[in-house]
Amino acid sequence: MNRTRREFLTAAGAGGTALLAGCQAEPLDEGTDTPADAGTEPTGTTTGTPEGADTLVVATYPPFVDAPSTSPGAWLKEEFESEFDATLVYQTPDSELNYYLERAIQGVEFEADVYVGLDTGQLIDADGRQGEGELTDPLFAEAGDLEGTDRLREGLQFDPRNRAVPFDTGYVSLVWNATMDDGEFAAPETFEGLTEPEYEGDLIAQNPTSAATGEAFMLHTVKQYGPDGFLDYWDRLRENGVTVLGSWTDAYSAYESEEAPMVVSYSTDQVYAAMEDQDLQKHQVRFLNDQGYANPEGMARFADSDAPGLAEEFMSFMLRPEVQAGIAQRNVAFPAIDDAPLPEDYSQYAMEPPEPVTFTYDELQGNVDEWTDQWARRFAGG
Amino acid sequence: MDRPVGAALRRRVSRAGRTGVLERRALPLLAVATALLLVALFYYPVATVLVEAVREEGRFTFGPLVEVLTDEFYVVRVFGFTAWQAFLSTLASVALGLPGAWVLSRFEFRGRETLKSLTMVPFVLPSVMVAVGFYATFGAGGTLNDLLGALGLRRLDLLPSLGAIIVAHAFYNAPLVTRVTTAAWESVDAGAVETARSLGASPSRAFRDVVVPQLLPAVLMGATLTFVFTFASFPIVLALGGFEYATVEVFVYSAVRQLDYAEAAALATVESAVSLTLTAVYLRYEREQTAERRDVRPLARERLLPERWTDATAWTRDRLASRLAVAGYAGVVLVVFLGPIVSMVYASLTVDGGFTLDAYRFLLRRQVSGAAFQVRPLPAVLNSLAFGAATLVVALPMGVSMGVLTTRRFRGRVLVDALSMAPLAVSGIVVGLGLLRGLVFGVEAFGYRFTASGPAAIVAAHAVAAYPFVVRNVSPGLDGLDRTLVESARSLGASRVRALLDVELPLVWPGVVAGAAFAFAISVGEFDATVILAEGGDVYTMPVAVERFIGRRLGPATAMGTVLLAVTAASFVVIERVGGGFRG
Repeated sequence: MNRTRREFLTAAGAGGTALLAGCQAEPLDEGTDTPADAGTEPTGTTTGTPEGADTLVVATYPPFVDAPSTSPGAWLKEEFESEFDATLVYQTPDSELNYYLERAIQGVEFEADVYVGLDTGQLIDADGRQGEGELTDPLFAEAGDLEGTDRLREGLQFDPRNRAVPFDTGYVSLVWNATMDDGEFAAPETFEGLTEPEYEGDLIAQNPTSAATGEAFMLHTVKQYGPDGFLDYWDRLRENGVTVLGSWTDAYSAYESEEAPMVVSYSTDQVYAAMEDQDLQKHQVRFLNDQGYANPEGMARFADSDAPGLAEEFMSFMLRPEVQAGIAQRNVAFPAIDDAPLPEDYSQYAMEPPEPVTFTYDELQGNVDEWTDQWARRFAGG
Repeated sequence: MDRPVGAALRRRVSRAGRTGVLERRALPLLAVATALLLVALFYYPVATVLVEAVREEGRFTFGPLVEVLTDEFYVVRVFGFTAWQAFLSTLASVALGLPGAWVLSRFEFRGRETLKSLTMVPFVLPSVMVAVGFYATFGAGGTLNDLLGALGLRRLDLLPSLGAIIVAHAFYNAPLVTRVTTAAWESVDAGAVETARSLGASPSRAFRDVVVPQLLPAVLMGATLTFVFTFASFPIVLALGGFEYATVEVFVYSAVRQLDYAEAAALATVESAVSLTLTAVYLRYEREQTAERRDVRPLARERLLPERWTDATAWTRDRLASRLAVAGYAGVVLVVFLGPIVSMVYASLTVDGGFTLDAYRFLLRRQVSGAAFQVRPLPAVLNSLAFGAATLVVALPMGVSMGVLTTRRFRGRVLVDALSMAPLAVSGIVVGLGLLRGLVFGVEAFGYRFTASGPAAIVAAHAVAAYPFVVRNVSPGLDGLDRTLVESARSLGASRVRALLDVELPLVWPGVVAGAAFAFAISVGEFDATVILAEGGDVYTMPVAVERFIGRRLGPATAMGTVLLAVTAASFVVIERVGGGFRG
């Protein structure tokens, strides 16, 4: 790789422009005159870490390795490397899975072996793009008979083709502040309650087109009122003064500055609050209609991974009870298996809904974009 | 003409007589390099995205574009509302920014220079920090309401609302109006005002006829830029107004996120067309406004505070009125600018109302023991400074040479000028996506795939985004310069570059320094291109670190925001001091 790059630079007259300093030129695969070693080696553009059979490149979203509170990334890497004779390298593009989808469509190779942190919507997006550009084969490989999948909790598996394997789950619910209205405030029990006049202007939600929690909450209303009725429900919500902000951060910081007593968030909210010794009265969790919308997170192996064996071992490793407990605590989520050895007080702060609800892959496919578009047009039309 | 320009010129010219080819060819070379850089880092990448608006399955159908333009929802609701809020934001920014220029250019007081430098600070604050500051200042339980409550006044429900969006837009853009107008005001020739006065004009008449025409291009430039920026606004709208007030850029972003590039491209094309048209209209106006100027002696500034407070003669009615106006304006500035910034700093120092240094301890801990794949504060600071400095080095010559080029008279000049201004007018999301597809993923040619990423590409991208500010700050001044000055320098044997360096630049120096401050600010505040070109690498900057440190606790992100604030504020002061030194 270095050799060819040097050759090119010399050939191009090196001096060219200052721009070249940040440039690379790689021979293309399909050329007949490319050097023998060029095609097989993945292009080292992002991490700069040496690549070999014993390196596993794990792609994930940035907070998984780099959250200000806790994140499982560093611990996972340490645990994995101490047991397997391999190096775990993280890649955390800000555009998340879209980064790899784009590369696949443009026909650019990438190093990542496994993607960690996939949800149903992303999987549908990835499948929907197959056939575009250079993305002819499926992006992800089937997981096969992975050790540990028999322990997975029922209802979490969201990929009908068994490529994505869930490793944790969260529930989107309301979080509310019992100290508001001089300590009189209590969140409603039902979706209908949210449209009552006494809760006017009391809810902050997120934009379904840009925030995962916003999308989950919208999908929950679709679940509740059906594809034909949820927009009318949102009309009533809007008449009752719901605020829809751009991201979970926007909404949560507005909630924390007590703009409104309720916010759409996660049912694990008290885990952080307890950790920070905050007033738990300000972090009450409400499951509307006794339901919480489940958002399982999955992992999947890229079909053209150079280290499929190691990738499989990693995925099995992720499902082990003690690793599951470690991820759950550090990612503040629920494990994907039943018997993860979590500390006693974890369940005290991490609330599970009496009835988890979610849409399956098949129910979402072809619908989720349409629902979101309809929602956006109805809501922004005001 | 009491300045020793002539002597210095002759001295330097005689030295410059032996200059080589490089100096004689420097301007054309710079112009060509600028053009190449623009094509590689802007036009080509953006084209790869926008082409989706007009092409379907390999054929040019204009389908997606037509779809957007015939959709009432988009045309009326989205574009209509976007233009409306941009218009209101522009009005607010000009109203808030102009008095600032008046104070900074007409009064002398301690710390004036520093204050002028600090006007650029709001420009670099990440939107998420501004949102945090706004909620803490103007929110239901914010400082403003506490203040009103303490005074026994009615509490205000200001957030979220259209009003909040507009005030936040003014927070970002009023400093810009202040900045460019101050530069113009400081270049107004005192001699011209004196001549008008000696011909019998009253002070207000002289102001109207002499000063206003010279300020107007700057004010309108500030207004145009504000409109263009707020037209493409997106995170502020969603954070402080909510989806009810969604703008075009919000829809572009959600289309990109749903990988619906045709729709995103179509929306972005219309958006860019509006912004570019407006820019071109302004440029035409700027051309017509050019008034020739000779060597400029700036207007003398008035002391803001009298030397002796007890001196009764110092307090005429006019004086009193103007000082009261300054005091009133200072009050507004405290609420609108200082309020959110102080609130952000305060948020970094408190948890649940109690004072704590936890957030800064987090930064220290992350610096000392953070893993290699985690973002650390110190490299972020150093990278930001290095990129900022490198951007200055690249963008200043680019901007000045484009400024000289576009102030020459030739056919299609407005077109060239508008095209060179395009980086200001195109949606950040589109530029980002274009960089990703066109540069990071690369271009195939001659059996090779050419890709660009890393520090050099980041600096180049920052320079492309920043240089239009340099052009816009120096170009009106260059345009207005007396041609004969350059011509006499040339006839004395100076090369074009020599004439530029020794004659023109010293005369438009306030504009150059203002442009430099803008260029630095653009580089420090830039986010999209930086994360895309640095994807996964270790060349992250301060705003990237702020973004990474956002979580359920505000502390770490606001602490990093405070670091960003301190570092950039110090940098601006240094830039102005060094820049001011050159002028002598």
